[in-house]
Amino acid sequence: MKKVLRISPELFFDLLIIVLGVVILVVSVRDGLGSFSRPGTGMYPLFIALSILVFGGITFVKQLLSGETKRVFAEGTMGTFYMMLATFALWILIMPLFGYVIITFLATYAFSKVMKLEGWVKPLGLSAGTAVFIYLLFDYWLYIDLPRGLLG
Amino acid sequence: MEGFALLMKGFASAMTLVNLMACFLGALIGTIVGVLPGLGPTATMALMLPFTLQFGPETGLIMMCGVWFGSQYGGSTTSILVNIPGEAASVVTCIDGYQMAKKGRAGPALAMVAIGSFIAGTLGIGGLQIFAPYLGAAALSFGPPEYLAFMILAFVLLSNLSGDSPMKGFLMISLGLFISSIGINPMDSYPRFTFGFDKLMMGIDFLPIAMGFFGISEILTISLQKYRSPSVQTIRLRDLYPSKQEVKRSVGPTFRGSILGFFVGLLPGPCTVISTFISWSMEKRLSKKPDEFGSGAIEGVVGPESANNSAVMGSMIPLLTLGIPFAAPSAVMLAGLRMHNVEPGPMLFTTNPDIFWTFIAAMYVGNMMLLVLNLPLVSVFARIAIIRPQLLMPFISVICLVGVYSVRNAFFDVWVMIIAGVIGFFFRTWGFPIAPFIIGVVLGPTTENSVRQSLMMFRGDITLIIDRPIALIFLIITALCLIYKILTILFANKMGKISILQKSEDD
Repeated sequence: MKKVLRISPELFFDLLIIVLGVVILVVSVRDGLGSFSRPGTGMYPLFIALSILVFGGITFVKQLLSGETKRVFAEGTMGTFYMMLATFALWILIMPLFGYVIITFLATYAFSKVMKLEGWVKPLGLSAGTAVFIYLLFDYWLYIDLPRGLLG
Repeated sequence: MEGFALLMKGFASAMTLVNLMACFLGALIGTIVGVLPGLGPTATMALMLPFTLQFGPETGLIMMCGVWFGSQYGGSTTSILVNIPGEAASVVTCIDGYQMAKKGRAGPALAMVAIGSFIAGTLGIGGLQIFAPYLGAAALSFGPPEYLAFMILAFVLLSNLSGDSPMKGFLMISLGLFISSIGINPMDSYPRFTFGFDKLMMGIDFLPIAMGFFGISEILTISLQKYRSPSVQTIRLRDLYPSKQEVKRSVGPTFRGSILGFFVGLLPGPCTVISTFISWSMEKRLSKKPDEFGSGAIEGVVGPESANNSAVMGSMIPLLTLGIPFAAPSAVMLAGLRMHNVEPGPMLFTTNPDIFWTFIAAMYVGNMMLLVLNLPLVSVFARIAIIRPQLLMPFISVICLVGVYSVRNAFFDVWVMIIAGVIGFFFRTWGFPIAPFIIGVVLGPTTENSVRQSLMMFRGDITLIIDRPIALIFLIITALCLIYKILTILFANKMGKISILQKSEDD
């Protein structure tokens, strides 16, 4: 029977690093290497690219030969991971509109629910406390001007 | 005599209200971080960088070093009481510390650790105070070739000492160096790896990278883990009194740990962690009762805890005298100082002596603060360890977001932090060490300057580097380290094959 080579996420990740090394190599050659006595813009990145290719290559081969792979997500945790990322992204997108105090309240609530903090009293208390703390810290103690959004 | 006068001046500056508050806050936050499993001192220091910008460089440095120092104190509390190391440098303390707690000797263990840490910290600061100015003066003779050779040595040691695979260590340093090369090249003002994207012209800022790799990736990792509530012993002040025998047994390990930790701190890599492992095995070897180790020997608790406190101070030497950080927390400190337009290195002692001496004085004060803070409040700190991550992580997530945004009011930085966090999460999962990456990012510009200037100095013939005695010494040490590593790998493989053969024969 033919053995099918399965690319694990870890192996794919190692491969991406090698691809990055190739990209750096190509760009550094394009930028101009100069000479050893008068190094060009691309000379130093070329050394880095070679180093990434050598060590990334060894890591890739070692991983390929070992065949072992560590599972990234335990059962039922992948959703939590993506929800966390979505909350981070929403903070960036909504902050200019709502202002930092309101978005802090909403984001803390969302984070606590994504991390499965039970009920609504604790998440609400935590969100309100965090929003007040952030407001006092940035507005009163550090005098940093952040977007206030709806609170003008 | 001049040193004494400068130290007194440093004390005058350290005793200002702002610096005292910074010291106290750093020590307090550091202790809490040390107690809490998960969030380490590097992540916390990166998280605090935006806030330190509001104060001067001395205050920022004091606050961040307070966090690092405090985390070494706090880490032991949960190791002894709950058998959970608050941070990596306290893993060894669990071995004998928790066994002592099970025998009802948690109080004396905590007291002796606090006193030992105080003595080690004080000796470490003394060592820094004495050696740093001399080494700084010696480092003035370093030119680009010496820096290049030293950097190569540092990278080799760092790769060998971080994580389980030196190859991954080297790879991470290279990736860090690459990140630092993005943006306009200062030598010829030519943009590199910007791909026409304006926001990359000025390069990628260190702060979002550090907060992403240490903060966000840690938050993501913790949010996916199941939480088990630990039970905590209650300790009263009167429980802390050690017996005469326990004090007697702690004296030697404290001083040995202090000296060992200081010198291990001079090496690249996770010095605080390494110093604890070496100290524990050294104490076991020196002990008249080695069998007691692992079942509650006080030497196995006090020695490593003294060593990790002293290592913090030792690792400040390469940072302050050469401007080269050997550990992730000192890399964050270097970035913090650069944000204040202060460049540590040999010139620090002539251009900014105030910063150095205020820092030294503040650390003496901070060390005393930590002792006073940790002994009576040990039970309170132990209770912090049982705060659920569901309550803590949402708060830290928001602090990361607002903190990074507040530095330049740029959403781009927040995106960089999140992307770095996701990449860092996968790096952690698959065993790629993060510290060499961060050190690579910080040392990138210095490395590039050394490479370029050395090549130009030697007119392209880099072999001429061996004509420089100091550089040659560094290169010889590098070669010896590499040979040792290769031999270790070969020997380990051979031994592995023998043991596998023996096992198969047995089967």
